[in-house]
Amino acid sequence: MTTTAQSRRVRLPAWLSMKALILFVVAFGLLYVAPFALALGDYLHNIVGLTFMFMAAGLAWNWLGGYVGQISFGHAAMFGVGGFVAARLAISFGLPFWATWMIGGIIAGLYALLWGHPTLRLRGPYFSIATIGVGEATRLVATYWTDFTGGSSGLSLPIGDGPTKFALYWYGLYLLAAAVILSYWLRKSRIGLALLAIKEDVEAASDVGVNPSFYQDLVLFLSGTVVGVCGGFYASYQAFIDPLDMFSFERSISFVLIGVIGGIGTILGPAMGAIVFVVLQEFLLASYPQLYLGLYGVLLIVVILFEPLGLSGLLMRLARRFGRKPSPSAASGGLSPAASPNASVSDPALTPDPVDPPDPPDPPVGAVGAVGAVGAGGPDVKRGPA
Amino acid sequence: MGQVLALAISAVLLAGFYASMAYGLGLIYGVLRVVNLAHGGMIMAAAYLSWVLFTRFSIDPYLAIPVVMVVFFFVGVAMYKGLVRHLPRGAAGGVQSLLLLFGVWLVIRNIAYLLFTGDDQAVRTSYSTASVPIFGNSYSLNRVLVFVISLVAVSVLQLWLSRTYTGKAVRAVTENSDSSTLVGIDVERLYALTFGVGTALAGLAGVLASTLFAFNPSFGSGELLKSFVIIVLGGLGSVVGIGIGALVLSFAEVFAIYAVPSYLTAAVGFVLLVVVLVVRPSGLFGSKVLR
Repeated sequence: MTTTAQSRRVRLPAWLSMKALILFVVAFGLLYVAPFALALGDYLHNIVGLTFMFMAAGLAWNWLGGYVGQISFGHAAMFGVGGFVAARLAISFGLPFWATWMIGGIIAGLYALLWGHPTLRLRGPYFSIATIGVGEATRLVATYWTDFTGGSSGLSLPIGDGPTKFALYWYGLYLLAAAVILSYWLRKSRIGLALLAIKEDVEAASDVGVNPSFYQDLVLFLSGTVVGVCGGFYASYQAFIDPLDMFSFERSISFVLIGVIGGIGTILGPAMGAIVFVVLQEFLLASYPQLYLGLYGVLLIVVILFEPLGLSGLLMRLARRFGRKPSPSAASGGLSPAASPNASVSDPALTPDPVDPPDPPDPPVGAVGAVGAVGAGGPDVKRGPA
Repeated sequence: MGQVLALAISAVLLAGFYASMAYGLGLIYGVLRVVNLAHGGMIMAAAYLSWVLFTRFSIDPYLAIPVVMVVFFFVGVAMYKGLVRHLPRGAAGGVQSLLLLFGVWLVIRNIAYLLFTGDDQAVRTSYSTASVPIFGNSYSLNRVLVFVISLVAVSVLQLWLSRTYTGKAVRAVTENSDSSTLVGIDVERLYALTFGVGTALAGLAGVLASTLFAFNPSFGSGELLKSFVIIVLGGLGSVVGIGIGALVLSFAEVFAIYAVPSYLTAAVGFVLLVVVLVVRPSGLFGSKVLR
């Protein structure tokens, strides 16, 4: 009955639903005009912009950690590479800031491929521990390579060239929007299926014609690139960067934490996780800096023990409590097989989830669409009254 | 030539310490399939315990070893019963246990910062500067003692694993935990025991480290990585494998001074780790256990 209507309409790609698109556009529009409508004050305005960046970085970490199930403890390496390449390009060549971010991001992505292509053949703890090594080695080299990174005295960006801190809000929003689109695409397209297959069982995936090496490399490259661009953004935001901060172990932990708090493998999750992270960072740890490692540690322990899907899991629980149907797409990510100890690869309930079911009343599409909206709308909503 | 010999002996002495440090991690991973990311944190904590015992109560670090090992045994058992036991087994549990134990590590580090600040500490005994001549070169007495104690500890452990009933049960669980249950082994109890013994070994390594190195709360991440390199290199379940893994790493590190600038020798372990993981993820001897 809708054939004529559909053929007249612009065709959306198979992975994109109209509902998700509309929600995304509305959320983007609202956040775009929010600073004009609400008087946020400089401090909050800037912090929200920074939160966008952390959301984008958390989402990018999550492609690897959540979609493929390869936990990286070394993403600070790409964050630092992106940041320092961008800063160096701005200082030495005076390139426009957006170009430095892009180039920095791509170089960070290539750097990720350089160590990731060989190490991604490893699974689970092997890969994770290798990433600790990569992160530490990168930090050492960066700290001693004073010609490039300025060593422990760092680099100061030329004043007045880049965007103002005020304008960075919108660039942060663009960055987040790009990360959300990529997340959605990586989840919903054929690639998403391939990634899930790889996550469940690498050997089975390659038996049915999914090339694990190609897809994992692709995800790592994209992840590294976006995290690298985030590094460039952060360099512009701080106007000063030093390797001890950019490449630090704590930086790597922050990406893990954002993903885990929010819920590994979801889109909404890392976005919410970033809000929690920034709130903790700015409002709690600013007063008690000596407690941050322990607080992060306790958060990790509590989340893993009680709600492995993080805030997303909590939301789903609440939704179920209030009689709404649980959304399978949110659950399909992350550590879900863990939720039931005996669920093995063959558990049919888990694998087919993210395949967009033909026309379900509400679940996956709505969930992920809402993700964009809530995820992006979060900081604004949270901070408005504050 | 003389210098090469001196460096080689130095590497062997270092390998002894590395072996005792890696054995705890390897034992826990072999039996529970859990990479104890808190291993480095435990080593750091034990180094501080040894330092406290020495500075406050003037207990010699070597005499403190039994005390520290007993304390850490119970810490390990408690960690297993309180945290690790609640995780699901299998592939997904692997990711969760990584994150959980990583969280434990962060907490231990933070507690150490709060108690002892971030300053470097070291245990200085009256014999810290004493040395022992070996083949015409002198080596610090501490390094030789650490080597001997490590050797003893690792041998005792190996005897326990191969001769006693409990040790055999541990090895049976390593091979196949389901079948072990069938023949009447209390797997849960063995898991707790193994976690305790593995952590006690981290405690031993911490005390030994406190006599050799200066340490601060972030001490231990390098030790964790090195332990992992060693168990990957040598496989699990045999002293010989761990010993060879430790030797390869210590020789690579010691002789790296010929090839790379000194500040990069710390990165040798990391590079070796990545290379080994990629080239021979199942260990030098293709040990099937590490999978």
